[in-house]
Amino acid sequence: MHELIEKARRSVDGAELYWKRDHTISVRYENYRLQGMTEDELSSVALRVIAGARLGATYGVNPEEPGLIEQAKQAARFGDEAGFSFAGKADYESVENYDKRSEALTSADLVALCERVKERIAEERPEIPLFIVAGATKRDLVVETTAGAAGRDTSTRVTLGFGAPIKGAGIGVYKSDASVSPLDLDPALIDEFLEWYGWTENKSTPKTGRLPIILAPEAAYLFLLPLAAGLSGEAVEKGTSPLIDKIGERIVSERLTVIDDPLRDGDPGSRPFDDEGVPCRRRPLLDAGVLTDYLTDLRTGAALGRPSTGNGLKRELFGGGTETRPNPWPVNITVEPGDTPYREMISSLDEGLLVTGGMGFHSGNYPQGEFAVQAIGFHIKNGKVVGRLDRTMISGNIYKDFKDVAAVSRERRLGPGGMLPGGPVPYILVDSLRVAGE
Amino acid sequence: MKERLARIVADLAADYADIRYEENKKTRVAYRGKRLELVSSYATSGGHVRVYADGGKATASFSDPGRVGSIADASLASARLAAKGRDRPLRLADAPVVTGEFPVSPRVDPLTVKLEEKIELLRHYNDLILREPDVLTSEAEYDEFGSKRLFVNSEGSIIEYELLNIGIFGRIVTKRGNVVQRVRFAFGGNEDFSRLYDRDEELMERVAIARKLLDASPPRAGIYPVILDPDEAAVFIHEAFGHLSEADGLQNNPAFREKLKIGTTLGREILNVTDDPTIPGHPGSYDIDDEGVAGVKTRLITDGVLTGRLHSRETAAEFGEPLSGNMRAVDAHFTPIVRMSNIFIEPGNSSFEEMVASIDDGYYLVGARGGQTSGDQFTFGAQWGYRIENGRLGGMVRDINMSGELFSTLRAISMIGSDLSFGERGGCGKGMPMQLNRKSGKGAPHIKIDRVTLGGV
Repeated sequence: MHELIEKARRSVDGAELYWKRDHTISVRYENYRLQGMTEDELSSVALRVIAGARLGATYGVNPEEPGLIEQAKQAARFGDEAGFSFAGKADYESVENYDKRSEALTSADLVALCERVKERIAEERPEIPLFIVAGATKRDLVVETTAGAAGRDTSTRVTLGFGAPIKGAGIGVYKSDASVSPLDLDPALIDEFLEWYGWTENKSTPKTGRLPIILAPEAAYLFLLPLAAGLSGEAVEKGTSPLIDKIGERIVSERLTVIDDPLRDGDPGSRPFDDEGVPCRRRPLLDAGVLTDYLTDLRTGAALGRPSTGNGLKRELFGGGTETRPNPWPVNITVEPGDTPYREMISSLDEGLLVTGGMGFHSGNYPQGEFAVQAIGFHIKNGKVVGRLDRTMISGNIYKDFKDVAAVSRERRLGPGGMLPGGPVPYILVDSLRVAGE
Repeated sequence: MKERLARIVADLAADYADIRYEENKKTRVAYRGKRLELVSSYATSGGHVRVYADGGKATASFSDPGRVGSIADASLASARLAAKGRDRPLRLADAPVVTGEFPVSPRVDPLTVKLEEKIELLRHYNDLILREPDVLTSEAEYDEFGSKRLFVNSEGSIIEYELLNIGIFGRIVTKRGNVVQRVRFAFGGNEDFSRLYDRDEELMERVAIARKLLDASPPRAGIYPVILDPDEAAVFIHEAFGHLSEADGLQNNPAFREKLKIGTTLGREILNVTDDPTIPGHPGSYDIDDEGVAGVKTRLITDGVLTGRLHSRETAAEFGEPLSGNMRAVDAHFTPIVRMSNIFIEPGNSSFEEMVASIDDGYYLVGARGGQTSGDQFTFGAQWGYRIENGRLGGMVRDINMSGELFSTLRAISMIGSDLSFGERGGCGKGMPMQLNRKSGKGAPHIKIDRVTLGGV
């Protein structure tokens, strides 16, 4: 137990230490040239206390710095009634989220990886302004409480991303990969990048109306993020979730099974405990389309009269971090695969869209399940891709439009992270969404 | 500290090196509905090193100032390694050596206002929202960020400067039946606490809008002429054009560099766009950037023609264009990147009434609701709007998203109002990793655009 917790025990009713130390190296290539390297050593601390039944929080750089407990007590003077207790002693499941080979990676290793990506793509596409970003992080996370929670976790994450803007389009094609272990060049990822890039030569705008949509793993957040917002105990407690009183009901197609799986070995988002020291558990969220559970942290759980589900994360739609209050989020969201090969989805369509991303998502009313984005992706006609989407918006509501899903692919890949990091997801063929084009 | 850091960069065997060290104070107070959910006031510190050697570059962020010497050495080694991966060396444009202090001097200094008073003011505004009918909940937040920064570089610059930015902002959430609507408000956006007083009337107007939206309907999807209010027009120019003015994004993108050569005609003669950190009182106002370069006014578009660009020392050298002082980092965890300061569309001659009268079938879009760009494609929301039919404003619309392609949309700006106003909340996300910058100002008058795509039903 850290001595800050021991000290806090003597002056407040409860205390929780969150201490994160990241060592990160990264390299960045732009237009095939090595643009720069970074090496960061960052430490940050959050201390929450309950004093006089009120909650207070403060932040700093490391737990040894003076005054943290006093500052947190000061905040508690004005603080809200806690309404919950910090996490107690618990046994955490073990999960493979650390690889010592990743910790040992050097900038030169990352350069070598980038060089291999560069050489492979330069063989086919020397003319495109390829960018590549590779990084490796070792994280030491400590979450300890006066109630006995003692979480200590060391994890590694290696990431690779590469892409290029499309000439005259203003958008690009981007591929990424992430792992607990050192990444090797994945030929399938490169091949798909080259294939997608090839598809961008022509542009195409579908007619306004309803069309079938294949949602690529990169775009899965169009479905999963509104879902996560609805599942959040925060939205349930506030009364804004469209999923209130829907547990046990089929809310989307029975082809969709969504699982929050923080204990999947080897996923870079896997972890034994959440940011409040509560054990993480594998948890089905949608079982064949049926809503099975909400996500809670300590605070929203207490407000709803139930325990935390181990989903208290210091995360926001864009980023978050040590200074962010824990909120209920999926830890490592995954979607179960189906049995349709993804290429069959494409060849099965007379006309449709392969959507690989969307712009403007966060300005939509996604907490209610709605989305309206400028679609990035490809136009399919007679079972073949005819070009990249141009001036095309798609919109819908996941609780209406995802009731009818024609197929789920057997292939799965990590989503792109960003707004909703998670585990593997398949391609999803939605019967129809509203398309605004010509 | 000052002398120690100055000596480290001076002694490093690099082409160039700098260190920025920060002590930051943050205060946040938040209500969610009736609950005072967050009161927090704390300090953090940290620093950032940049090294250029042999034409390569390396950067590092650190928490422990005791480690800065060895971190600078490691960055030097990385910069030399990085140089091997380049066929063209990176260079920096010459910049004046700057020594001195650049403090801020607010009329009412928020650091002298008691925490109790800040909470009380926020509670007052929050209560105003919550007592209205149809209001489901509220979000109201006081945010204060004060940063004391020390910058030293290997050329002899030693600069101490301050940033201070405060604001009250939030959202009004209304609900009737299954319909939930959200409308934003924001006061402040500079260093002066007194700007947060006496804003009841404006807030109540926003609450009234959030209630009326419950009866509004979405626009019909399609392509229309639209009028954007100053808030929406400011976000448009920031998102769609401003980001393409930032030279670090263009640096390695040959297609866009070609499209955005100085002297290219981008719009009609009525269109003038400026970036200016030197006008006081807006979210993006500052004296000196995080690369030790003084901020200057940059005319980006003059009479419809591209005339300027926003630069770092590195991009200014690469483009052979003048320094603009736009390199900024949110805090010590981040390396500076090229960012707009206060970007705005200069006022024109048209009146709002003339704009409405000129539209037979279109919409008036009000209040920015986030936006996104990728290259020349943009999309962003409006908080509410009105139908325009036969030259008259009609019923209210909601759930509005507009999108388009920058270059054709800039050319389609056909009328510009005389009513320039600036937003009171800065906000801009850019970079990998993402840096969310509160100190980003934007302004515009009402503008009319002849064609944009609206999503809807």
